[in-house]
Amino acid sequence: MARVRRLKFFLWALTGLAAAVGVFRFLFGLGAATNLSDAYPWGVWIGFDVMSGVALAAGGFIVTATVYIFKLERFHVIVRPAVLTAFLGYVAVAVGLLFDLGLPWNIWHMLIYWNPHSPLFEVGWCVMLYLTVLTLEFLPVPAEEISRLASVRRFLVKIRLPLVIAGIGLSTLHQSSLGSLFLIMPEYLHPLWYSPILPVLFLVSAIGLGLAMVIFESHTTAYFYYRKPETHLMASLAAAARWVLVVYLALRFADLAWRGQLHHLAGAGWQVWWFWFELAVMAFVPIAIFSLPQTRRNQTWQWAGALFGVAGVVLNRVNVGGLMHQGRGDRLYWPSWTEITISAGIVSAAVLAFLFFIEHFRVWQERPVDPEADPRKLPELSAVGATWLGVPVVANRTVYSLAFVGAAALGFALIHPQPASSRGIVPVPVHNARGADVLWIDGNLDGYGVAFPHADHEKREGGKKSCARCHHMNLPRDKASPCGVCHRDMYAPSDAFRHDWHAGPRGAALPCVKCHTPGRPRTKETAKTCDQCHKDLVAEGAVIKVKQYQAPSYTEAMHRLCVGCHVERAASRHKPDMPRCAWCHKERRRFVDAPDLDFRGLRAPGSEVVLPPLPESKSKR
Amino acid sequence: MSLESWLDFARGPLFRLCFSLMILGLLRILVLTILGMKEAWDRSADKIVPWRDLTVQTAKWLVPVSSLWRKRPIYSAVSVVFHAGLLLVPLFLPAHVLLWKRAVGFAWAELPQALADWLTLAAVAAGLGLFAGRVFHSAARALSRRQEYVWPLLLVVPFATGYLCSHAVLSPRAYQWLMLLHVFAGNLILLLIPFTKIAHCVLFPLSQYVSGLAWKFPPRAGQRVAETLGYADRPTWVERPRVATDRILTPTEEA
Repeated sequence: MARVRRLKFFLWALTGLAAAVGVFRFLFGLGAATNLSDAYPWGVWIGFDVMSGVALAAGGFIVTATVYIFKLERFHVIVRPAVLTAFLGYVAVAVGLLFDLGLPWNIWHMLIYWNPHSPLFEVGWCVMLYLTVLTLEFLPVPAEEISRLASVRRFLVKIRLPLVIAGIGLSTLHQSSLGSLFLIMPEYLHPLWYSPILPVLFLVSAIGLGLAMVIFESHTTAYFYYRKPETHLMASLAAAARWVLVVYLALRFADLAWRGQLHHLAGAGWQVWWFWFELAVMAFVPIAIFSLPQTRRNQTWQWAGALFGVAGVVLNRVNVGGLMHQGRGDRLYWPSWTEITISAGIVSAAVLAFLFFIEHFRVWQERPVDPEADPRKLPELSAVGATWLGVPVVANRTVYSLAFVGAAALGFALIHPQPASSRGIVPVPVHNARGADVLWIDGNLDGYGVAFPHADHEKREGGKKSCARCHHMNLPRDKASPCGVCHRDMYAPSDAFRHDWHAGPRGAALPCVKCHTPGRPRTKETAKTCDQCHKDLVAEGAVIKVKQYQAPSYTEAMHRLCVGCHVERAASRHKPDMPRCAWCHKERRRFVDAPDLDFRGLRAPGSEVVLPPLPESKSKR
Repeated sequence: MSLESWLDFARGPLFRLCFSLMILGLLRILVLTILGMKEAWDRSADKIVPWRDLTVQTAKWLVPVSSLWRKRPIYSAVSVVFHAGLLLVPLFLPAHVLLWKRAVGFAWAELPQALADWLTLAAVAAGLGLFAGRVFHSAARALSRRQEYVWPLLLVVPFATGYLCSHAVLSPRAYQWLMLLHVFAGNLILLLIPFTKIAHCVLFPLSQYVSGLAWKFPPRAGQRVAETLGYADRPTWVERPRVATDRILTPTEEA
């Protein structure tokens, strides 16, 4: 059981990590926890958790149909694991959907508020109904162990055939309706992936994937539980999967050809390579492996082929579900680690539930027995701490809970709470204006700036003694410090006080008590104010009075200063256009690559702006 | 990395890791203990457990001056002072409450700064006193494991550094080094709580019940253990006073 034990340790850790991230997602929302945006509203949670989860669960209806409808009794041994996989797959889908939708307490709305025009309405109902059917299909297995449920079990076995038929109907409906979701976006989905027969393609690929998933799951669990692999049975499933995939390939290319879209394959771009890669993983490689008799009957090759098929269909769903949506901004969507963690955690939890069921109920013909649990076995010391952790049940829960708790704590450590509150404000450092008589004011260097006739303003406002009108504060022992010294961010307020200049080892390295009152918490309330030491900070004759350390953003400071003055002058000089945007924002060129910009005359040729006259009532602010 | 970024790291991600590990780890040990108790209860043949007596015992041990007070009054008093400092200062120091307010947006009552200062000094003195008691009292030394010596000293570190940081006139560099030590020691304490004897902060209410239930294992449990180990012919209880050389021989040694 060493393999299973290691696997479970890993899965519990992943679940713990995801639990921490899940708390974060529900506290702070999608914007903080994901890379989703209005341009990319559907990400890996829809593409992987929901769409791939549903496709992975297709094995349930295929195997039940094979055994109970077509009466191929030799497949009976794989019915229970297949139904269990489907059941847990759908539970995982529902949980994954809750993470994406949020507000889980509103999930019942779909039952009451009907919107029959929406494909999602149909999807939602299918998930609910099919989950119910799967629960009823699987319930007889745990009911075997509980004598009180004997009558329930008898009843469920009696109605098994109608349940199987309902399951097949709902499942096929649902697999295809996930494809029909994307029929409304022919202009968004890449033409190599968009197709009017997407529902059919989804259904066919889901059947192929369902078979591959049964093979993959059987061989994987056989490895972990040291079981004899069901290679012979799986070979017939592989043969069937091959034909399904061939049909899928034929459908896909026939559809492209029929709609005249094959020329895209000759086009350039990574999407074409991606298309071939997807088909190779999903169809070409599995078909090759499942066609050659040597590889089809070999356990390892079967496992590899099934793995390729599963990975390929997941890739296909992720592509259709979000990655191949184009024309929505120039930035590609890439899931954040939190999104991937949640997805991985949901899968881990589902696998753990699967292992729980096969260990505690008769999912297989015989339950796997832990040799460690034999009461006659001598106790073994654990590797860590050289202690005996107890019988396997006790030892396992000690170790797994440690994995869960440790990973969850790691998750809380990795998640930075900052993005939750301040993502969206990207710091934009300010660059000082350049030039001499005329200054080019372009704080963020994006080329859209203002050519400010500094010398003219100085002359008009009264020479040197007018500096303090704008330069209201200066650095100690400085005159006319540039604006960007305090207004350090383009759009966000910044701290005009520099703590590091005072206390930091590269600054003045002052002891704390130089400013802070000793013996009290060191906050700005307990500290001296600037002017208690720096007598020359505020310029003589400054109009703007500073009352706080927080300096407004560069744009706000500039606009308030200039526009305020321009409003006054507009009235006194009878120039009503003075406070309007275009009075100053004339130049729309980069400072560096505009050698012809007429800085003497201030006005580039042809850049005159004609404004409608300002209404009288609004000329005064 | 500069000192400032180390401080940011210790106060940010590292603190979140240690703090959440403490909370979750304590929950884990609590749940595991309760599960173990439940199993002992399920497996015990006689279900007569003196619940009332156990509860009374638990309550008695909660009162710091009851039984220990008479036997070791100094130890008892110092221990009470130590616990008061350990619990009150980290949670209600004005500067710490301010940190919480900045981090989570709400705050709670503060201790007066003067009281907090005195409690801090008392906790430092009490911690050193308890360590001295461990070292110089021969009975205590015989009972002590390694962690018993480490804990009082480790607990003193953040108190001493915190006091120095807020009161001594220091150069910024010395302040930052002390603050770094303060935060790292605090984090280490949080990290170790659920895995060492400090877990008694949540396990204390259960300890009497655990001992009570431990006697309720299936009858002949000890005998069966001996049979499993291959010592069926030996008595399952120790007849002589236990000494260091009294260990169970391995089968090869016995042969």
